[in-house]
Amino acid sequence: MKRSRFGCPWLALLLLSGALPAQAHGSNVQFRTTEAIEIQAQFDSGTPMSEAQVTVYAPDDPATPWLQGITDERGHFTFTPDPARAGNWEVKVRQAGHGDIISVPVGELASETVIAQTHAADSTSAATTAEPTDSTPAATTAEQPALIARADWSGSAYTPLQKWLMAASGLWGFIGTALFFTRRKG
Amino acid sequence: MHLPDGLLPPGLAIAGYAVSGGTLWYTLRRIRQERDPTENIPKASLLTAAFFITSLLHIPVPPASIHLVLNGLMGIVLGTYAFPAVVIGLFFQAVMFGHGGISSLGVNAAMMGIPALLASAVFQLLKPQAQRFAFGINALSFTVGAGTLLLSAAIFVTLAITAIPADVDAGLEQRAIMIALTGYAIQAGIEGVFTSMIVAFLTRVKPELMNS
Repeated sequence: MKRSRFGCPWLALLLLSGALPAQAHGSNVQFRTTEAIEIQAQFDSGTPMSEAQVTVYAPDDPATPWLQGITDERGHFTFTPDPARAGNWEVKVRQAGHGDIISVPVGELASETVIAQTHAADSTSAATTAEPTDSTPAATTAEQPALIARADWSGSAYTPLQKWLMAASGLWGFIGTALFFTRRKG
Repeated sequence: MHLPDGLLPPGLAIAGYAVSGGTLWYTLRRIRQERDPTENIPKASLLTAAFFITSLLHIPVPPASIHLVLNGLMGIVLGTYAFPAVVIGLFFQAVMFGHGGISSLGVNAAMMGIPALLASAVFQLLKPQAQRFAFGINALSFTVGAGTLLLSAAIFVTLAITAIPADVDAGLEQRAIMIALTGYAIQAGIEGVFTSMIVAFLTRVKPELMNS
Protein backbone atom coordinates (compact mmCIF):
# COMPACT_ATOMS: atom_id res chain seq x y z
CA MET A 1 0.00 0.00 0.00
CA LYS A 2 2.63 2.44 1.16
CA ARG A 3 4.87 1.46 -1.66
CA SER A 4 2.40 2.36 -4.36
CA ARG A 5 1.26 5.59 -2.69
CA PHE A 6 4.76 7.00 -2.55
CA GLY A 7 5.95 5.43 -5.70
CA CYS A 8 3.39 6.73 -8.16
CA PRO A 9 4.14 10.47 -8.06
CA TRP A 10 7.85 9.80 -8.30
CA LEU A 11 7.28 7.38 -11.12
CA ALA A 12 5.18 9.92 -12.97
CA LEU A 13 7.77 12.60 -12.37
CA LEU A 14 10.56 10.44 -13.63
CA LEU A 15 8.63 9.41 -16.70
CA LEU A 16 7.71 12.99 -17.51
CA SER A 17 11.18 14.40 -17.15
CA GLY A 18 13.08 13.80 -20.30
CA ALA A 19 16.50 14.30 -18.82
CA LEU A 20 16.67 10.82 -17.43
CA PRO A 21 18.13 7.86 -19.22
CA ALA A 22 15.65 5.95 -21.31
CA GLN A 23 16.35 2.66 -19.62
CA ALA A 24 15.22 3.93 -16.22
CA HIS A 25 12.05 2.06 -15.51
CA GLY A 26 12.19 2.15 -11.79
CA SER A 27 12.07 4.85 -9.21
CA ASN A 28 13.70 5.04 -5.88
CA VAL A 29 12.30 6.81 -2.89
CA GLN A 30 14.39 7.06 0.19
CA PHE A 31 14.14 8.70 3.52
CA ARG A 32 16.52 9.57 6.24
CA THR A 33 16.05 10.66 9.78
CA THR A 34 17.39 14.13 10.38
CA GLU A 35 17.38 16.48 13.29
CA ALA A 36 14.88 19.27 13.32
CA ILE A 37 14.57 22.21 15.65
CA GLU A 38 11.24 22.91 17.22
CA ILE A 39 10.57 26.40 18.47
CA GLN A 40 8.04 27.16 21.15
CA ALA A 41 6.97 30.79 21.42
CA GLN A 42 4.83 32.03 24.25
CA PHE A 43 4.16 35.24 26.10
CA ASP A 44 5.34 35.84 29.65
CA SER A 45 1.93 34.84 30.94
CA GLY A 46 2.29 31.40 29.35
CA THR A 47 -0.20 31.89 26.53
CA PRO A 48 1.21 30.59 23.25
CA MET A 49 2.12 33.05 20.50
CA SER A 50 -0.08 31.55 17.81
CA GLU A 51 0.22 32.68 14.20
CA ALA A 52 3.37 34.65 14.96
CA GLN A 53 5.82 35.28 12.16
CA VAL A 54 9.04 33.28 12.30
CA THR A 55 12.22 34.12 10.42
CA VAL A 56 15.22 31.81 10.47
CA TYR A 57 18.73 33.05 9.66
CA ALA A 58 21.62 30.75 8.80
CA PRO A 59 24.85 31.18 10.81
CA ASP A 60 26.96 32.28 7.86
CA ASP A 61 24.44 34.85 6.59
CA PRO A 62 22.67 36.64 9.42
CA ALA A 63 21.21 39.31 7.14
CA THR A 64 19.05 37.42 4.67
CA PRO A 65 16.22 35.18 5.87
CA TRP A 66 16.88 31.50 5.24
CA LEU A 67 13.35 30.39 6.00
CA GLN A 68 10.13 32.14 6.93
CA GLY A 69 7.00 30.72 8.40
CA ILE A 70 4.20 31.05 10.90
CA THR A 71 3.76 29.33 14.24
CA ASP A 72 0.82 27.02 14.75
CA GLU A 73 -1.95 27.63 17.29
CA ARG A 74 0.23 26.17 20.07
CA GLY A 75 3.03 28.62 19.26
CA HIS A 76 5.21 25.87 17.82
CA PHE A 77 7.34 26.00 14.69
CA THR A 78 9.60 23.27 13.35
CA PHE A 79 12.39 23.59 10.83
CA THR A 80 15.24 21.42 9.63
CA PRO A 81 18.52 23.32 9.58
CA ASP A 82 21.18 22.51 7.01
CA PRO A 83 23.59 20.32 9.01
CA ALA A 84 26.50 21.46 6.86
CA ARG A 85 26.14 25.01 8.13
CA ALA A 86 27.22 24.59 11.71
CA GLY A 87 26.96 27.43 14.14
CA ASN A 88 24.28 29.48 15.81
CA TRP A 89 21.05 29.66 13.84
CA GLU A 90 19.09 32.78 14.70
CA VAL A 91 15.35 32.39 14.99
CA LYS A 92 13.22 35.52 15.23
CA VAL A 93 9.59 35.30 16.35
CA ARG A 94 7.41 38.39 16.23
CA GLN A 95 3.81 39.42 16.46
CA ALA A 96 2.31 42.92 16.67
CA GLY A 97 5.55 44.53 17.80
CA HIS A 98 6.31 41.88 20.39
CA GLY A 99 8.77 39.09 19.90
CA ASP A 100 12.13 37.62 20.63
CA ILE A 101 15.27 36.30 19.00
CA ILE A 102 16.96 33.10 20.10
CA SER A 103 20.04 31.44 18.75
CA VAL A 104 20.00 27.68 18.26
CA PRO A 105 23.37 25.90 18.19
CA VAL A 106 23.55 23.38 15.34
CA GLY A 107 26.41 21.10 14.41
CA GLU A 108 28.03 20.49 17.77
CA LEU A 109 26.02 17.33 18.24
CA ALA A 110 26.80 15.02 15.38
CA SER A 111 23.45 13.91 14.14
CA GLU A 112 23.17 10.30 13.26
CA THR A 113 21.48 10.04 9.96
CA VAL A 114 19.84 6.78 9.20
CA ILE A 115 19.38 6.21 5.55
CA ALA A 116 16.90 3.62 4.51
CA GLN A 117 15.99 2.91 1.00
CA THR A 118 12.67 1.79 -0.32
CA HIS A 119 12.72 0.41 -3.77
CA ALA A 120 9.46 0.97 -5.51
CA ALA A 121 10.37 -1.11 -8.52
CA ASP A 122 13.36 -2.85 -9.90
CA SER A 123 15.81 -0.19 -10.90
CA THR A 124 18.10 -0.99 -13.73
CA SER A 125 20.36 1.95 -13.38
CA ALA A 126 21.91 3.71 -10.44
CA ALA A 127 21.35 7.03 -12.16
CA THR A 128 17.69 7.04 -11.17
CA THR A 129 18.43 7.33 -7.48
CA ALA A 130 16.59 10.42 -6.40
CA GLU A 131 18.74 12.01 -3.77
CA PRO A 132 16.91 14.49 -1.58
CA THR A 133 18.49 17.80 -2.40
CA ASP A 134 18.85 20.66 0.05
CA SER A 135 18.45 23.38 -2.52
CA THR A 136 15.09 24.71 -1.36
CA PRO A 137 14.75 24.93 2.39
CA ALA A 138 10.94 25.24 2.39
CA ALA A 139 10.54 22.08 0.38
CA THR A 140 13.03 20.29 2.59
CA THR A 141 11.08 21.18 5.70
CA ALA A 142 7.84 20.05 4.20
CA GLU A 143 9.04 16.77 2.82
CA GLN A 144 11.68 15.39 5.08
CA PRO A 145 10.43 13.36 7.97
CA ALA A 146 11.61 15.25 10.99
CA LEU A 147 12.88 13.87 14.22
CA ILE A 148 11.68 16.54 16.56
CA ALA A 149 14.11 17.12 19.36
CA ARG A 150 11.83 18.19 22.14
CA ALA A 151 12.84 16.19 25.16
CA ASP A 152 13.33 19.38 27.10
CA TRP A 153 13.10 22.99 26.03
CA SER A 154 16.19 25.06 26.19
CA GLY A 155 15.98 28.81 26.13
CA SER A 156 16.00 31.78 28.39
CA ALA A 157 12.80 31.17 30.33
CA TYR A 158 13.05 31.42 34.10
CA THR A 159 11.14 29.28 36.54
CA PRO A 160 8.42 31.16 38.47
CA LEU A 161 10.50 30.90 41.66
CA GLN A 162 13.55 32.51 40.01
CA LYS A 163 11.34 35.20 38.54
CA TRP A 164 9.66 36.13 41.78
CA LEU A 165 12.95 36.07 43.68
CA MET A 166 14.35 38.51 41.14
CA ALA A 167 11.22 40.62 41.36
CA ALA A 168 11.43 40.67 45.15
CA SER A 169 15.09 41.72 45.11
CA GLY A 170 14.29 44.45 42.58
CA LEU A 171 11.38 45.66 44.70
CA TRP A 172 13.56 45.73 47.79
CA GLY A 173 16.05 47.86 45.89
CA PHE A 174 13.41 50.48 45.17
CA ILE A 175 11.88 50.37 48.65
CA GLY A 176 15.35 50.56 50.18
CA THR A 177 16.07 53.65 48.10
CA ALA A 178 12.84 55.21 49.37
CA LEU A 179 13.74 54.39 52.97
CA PHE A 180 17.26 55.77 52.52
CA PHE A 181 15.96 59.13 51.34
CA THR A 182 13.30 59.36 54.07
CA ARG A 183 15.86 58.96 56.87
CA ARG A 184 15.98 61.78 59.34
CA LYS A 185 18.57 64.35 58.45
CA GLY A 186 20.94 64.87 61.32
CA MET B 1 3.98 47.31 24.93
CA HIS B 2 7.69 46.94 25.41
CA LEU B 3 9.55 46.77 22.10
CA PRO B 4 12.10 43.95 22.35
CA ASP B 5 15.70 43.82 21.20
CA GLY B 6 16.45 42.95 17.63
CA LEU B 7 13.24 44.00 15.90
CA LEU B 8 13.93 47.71 15.56
CA PRO B 9 16.20 49.05 12.83
CA PRO B 10 19.43 50.43 14.35
CA GLY B 11 18.72 53.99 13.23
CA LEU B 12 15.49 54.10 15.16
CA ALA B 13 17.09 52.60 18.27
CA ILE B 14 19.77 55.33 18.17
CA ALA B 15 17.15 58.02 17.57
CA GLY B 16 15.20 56.68 20.56
CA TYR B 17 18.31 56.97 22.72
CA ALA B 18 18.87 60.52 21.48
CA VAL B 19 15.31 61.61 22.32
CA SER B 20 15.30 59.84 25.70
CA GLY B 21 18.78 61.08 26.55
CA GLY B 22 17.79 64.68 25.83
CA THR B 23 14.59 64.38 27.84
CA LEU B 24 16.44 62.72 30.73
CA TRP B 25 19.02 65.53 30.76
CA TYR B 26 16.27 68.15 30.76
CA THR B 27 14.24 66.50 33.55
CA LEU B 28 17.32 65.92 35.73
CA ARG B 29 18.34 69.55 35.27
CA ARG B 30 14.89 70.69 36.38
CA ILE B 31 15.03 68.38 39.39
CA ARG B 32 18.41 69.84 40.37
CA GLN B 33 16.95 73.33 40.29
CA GLU B 34 14.42 72.41 42.97
CA ARG B 35 14.86 73.57 46.53
CA ASP B 36 15.46 70.06 47.85
CA PRO B 37 16.04 67.63 44.98
CA THR B 38 16.00 64.55 47.22
CA GLU B 39 12.66 65.42 48.81
CA ASN B 40 10.57 63.61 46.19
CA ILE B 41 12.90 60.65 45.71
CA PRO B 42 11.09 58.30 48.17
CA LYS B 43 7.82 58.90 46.35
CA ALA B 44 9.46 58.45 42.94
CA SER B 45 11.23 55.30 44.11
CA LEU B 46 8.04 53.68 45.39
CA LEU B 47 6.17 54.44 42.18
CA THR B 48 9.12 53.05 40.19
CA ALA B 49 8.74 49.87 42.24
CA ALA B 50 5.05 49.74 41.29
CA PHE B 51 5.89 50.39 37.61
CA PHE B 52 8.60 47.72 37.72
CA ILE B 53 6.39 45.04 39.23
CA THR B 54 3.18 45.67 37.24
CA SER B 55 4.81 44.29 34.09
CA LEU B 56 4.84 40.89 35.81
CA LEU B 57 1.20 40.97 36.90
CA HIS B 58 -0.90 39.76 34.03
CA ILE B 59 -4.55 40.64 33.79
CA PRO B 60 -6.35 38.18 31.52
CA VAL B 61 -8.25 40.05 28.83
CA PRO B 62 -9.39 37.56 26.17
CA PRO B 63 -7.85 36.65 23.77
CA ALA B 64 -4.56 37.64 25.36
CA SER B 65 -3.50 39.12 28.66
CA ILE B 66 -2.35 42.62 29.47
CA HIS B 67 -0.28 44.24 32.15
CA LEU B 68 -0.65 47.74 33.50
CA VAL B 69 1.89 50.43 32.62
CA LEU B 70 0.75 53.17 35.04
CA ASN B 71 2.65 55.93 33.23
CA GLY B 72 -0.33 58.31 33.58
CA LEU B 73 -0.35 57.83 37.35
CA MET B 74 3.41 58.36 37.48
CA GLY B 75 3.07 61.60 35.53
CA ILE B 76 0.28 62.92 37.78
CA VAL B 77 1.98 62.06 41.08
CA LEU B 78 5.65 62.52 40.20
CA GLY B 79 5.69 65.37 37.69
CA THR B 80 9.23 65.85 36.38
CA TYR B 81 10.47 62.81 38.32
CA ALA B 82 8.26 60.57 36.17
CA PHE B 83 10.73 60.39 33.28
CA PRO B 84 13.80 59.22 35.24
CA ALA B 85 11.50 56.82 37.11
CA VAL B 86 10.27 55.30 33.82
CA VAL B 87 13.84 54.97 32.50
CA ILE B 88 15.03 53.22 35.67
CA GLY B 89 12.00 50.92 35.79
CA LEU B 90 12.39 49.97 32.12
CA PHE B 91 16.11 49.34 32.57
CA PHE B 92 15.52 46.85 35.37
CA GLN B 93 12.64 45.19 33.52
CA ALA B 94 14.90 44.69 30.51
CA VAL B 95 17.90 43.47 32.49
CA MET B 96 16.08 41.16 34.88
CA PHE B 97 13.19 39.77 32.89
CA GLY B 98 14.09 40.49 29.27
CA HIS B 99 10.93 42.57 29.10
CA GLY B 100 11.81 45.16 26.49
CA GLY B 101 15.48 45.34 25.64
CA ILE B 102 18.66 47.30 26.12
CA SER B 103 18.95 48.41 22.49
CA SER B 104 15.29 49.44 22.47
CA LEU B 105 15.45 51.09 25.91
CA GLY B 106 15.61 54.56 24.38
CA VAL B 107 12.56 54.04 22.21
CA ASN B 108 10.60 52.42 25.04
CA ALA B 109 11.52 55.20 27.47
CA ALA B 110 10.40 57.86 25.01
CA MET B 111 7.22 55.91 24.28
CA MET B 112 6.17 55.65 27.93
CA GLY B 113 8.04 58.51 29.59
CA ILE B 114 7.18 61.47 27.38
CA PRO B 115 3.40 60.77 27.61
CA ALA B 116 3.91 60.67 31.40
CA LEU B 117 5.41 64.18 31.31
CA LEU B 118 2.48 65.31 29.15
CA ALA B 119 0.08 63.76 31.68
CA SER B 120 1.70 65.83 34.41
CA ALA B 121 1.36 69.04 32.40
CA VAL B 122 -2.28 68.38 31.43
CA PHE B 123 -3.24 67.42 34.98
CA GLN B 124 -1.67 70.54 36.52
CA LEU B 125 -3.24 72.72 33.83
CA LEU B 126 -6.79 71.44 34.25
CA LYS B 127 -6.71 70.79 38.01
CA PRO B 128 -8.11 74.23 39.08
CA GLN B 129 -11.06 73.90 36.70
CA ALA B 130 -11.74 70.30 37.71
CA GLN B 131 -11.76 71.11 41.42
CA ARG B 132 -14.88 73.23 40.94
CA PHE B 133 -17.02 70.20 40.15
CA ALA B 134 -17.99 67.24 42.28
CA PHE B 135 -15.89 64.26 41.19
CA GLY B 136 -14.02 66.64 38.88
CA ILE B 137 -10.60 65.39 40.00
CA ASN B 138 -11.77 61.78 39.65
CA ALA B 139 -12.93 62.40 36.09
CA LEU B 140 -9.74 64.29 35.24
CA SER B 141 -7.41 61.63 36.63
CA PHE B 142 -9.38 58.90 34.85
CA THR B 143 -9.11 60.77 31.54
CA VAL B 144 -5.42 61.53 31.99
CA GLY B 145 -4.61 57.97 33.07
CA ALA B 146 -6.47 56.41 30.15
CA GLY B 147 -5.31 59.02 27.63
CA THR B 148 -1.64 58.60 28.56
CA LEU B 149 -1.82 54.87 28.04
CA LEU B 150 -3.64 55.34 24.72
CA LEU B 151 -0.98 57.80 23.57
CA SER B 152 1.78 55.31 24.41
CA ALA B 153 -0.17 52.54 22.68
CA ALA B 154 -0.62 54.72 19.60
CA ILE B 155 3.14 55.37 19.43
CA PHE B 156 3.80 51.66 19.92
CA VAL B 157 1.42 50.58 17.17
CA THR B 158 2.74 53.24 14.79
CA LEU B 159 6.28 52.02 15.36
CA ALA B 160 5.22 48.38 15.00
CA ILE B 161 3.55 49.09 11.67
CA THR B 162 6.03 51.51 10.12
CA ALA B 163 9.44 50.55 11.49
CA ILE B 164 9.20 46.78 11.56
CA PRO B 165 8.34 45.39 8.13
CA ALA B 166 6.04 42.39 7.99
CA ASP B 167 8.22 39.44 7.11
CA VAL B 168 5.80 36.81 5.99
CA ASP B 169 2.19 37.80 6.00
CA ALA B 170 1.22 41.46 6.25
CA GLY B 171 -2.49 40.67 6.65
CA LEU B 172 -1.83 38.37 9.58
CA GLU B 173 0.33 41.01 11.23
CA GLN B 174 -2.34 43.69 10.74
CA ARG B 175 -4.94 41.42 12.31
CA ALA B 176 -2.65 40.80 15.27
CA ILE B 177 -2.16 44.56 15.68
CA MET B 178 -5.92 45.13 15.52
CA ILE B 179 -6.44 42.56 18.28
CA ALA B 180 -3.69 44.26 20.28
CA LEU B 181 -5.43 47.64 19.83
CA THR B 182 -8.66 46.22 21.29
CA GLY B 183 -6.61 45.01 24.24
CA TYR B 184 -5.10 48.48 24.71
CA ALA B 185 -8.56 50.08 24.67
CA ILE B 186 -9.64 47.80 27.53
CA GLN B 187 -6.33 48.42 29.27
CA ALA B 188 -6.85 52.19 28.99
CA GLY B 189 -10.15 51.83 30.87
CA ILE B 190 -8.52 49.76 33.61
CA GLU B 191 -5.60 52.20 33.91
CA GLY B 192 -8.02 55.12 34.09
CA VAL B 193 -9.99 53.55 36.95
CA PHE B 194 -6.77 52.61 38.74
CA THR B 195 -5.28 56.10 38.34
CA SER B 196 -8.49 57.73 39.51
CA MET B 197 -8.65 55.50 42.60
CA ILE B 198 -5.02 56.07 43.60
CA VAL B 199 -5.25 59.84 43.07
CA ALA B 200 -8.46 60.03 45.13
CA PHE B 201 -6.86 57.94 47.88
CA LEU B 202 -3.67 60.02 47.99
CA THR B 203 -5.60 63.31 47.94
CA ARG B 204 -7.59 62.18 50.97
CA VAL B 205 -4.85 60.45 52.98
CA LYS B 206 -1.69 62.37 52.12
CA PRO B 207 -2.59 65.51 50.15
CA GLU B 208 0.96 66.91 50.36
CA LEU B 209 2.09 64.06 48.07
CA MET B 210 -0.07 65.43 45.29
CA ASN B 211 1.53 68.87 45.24
CA SER B 212 4.66 68.24 43.25
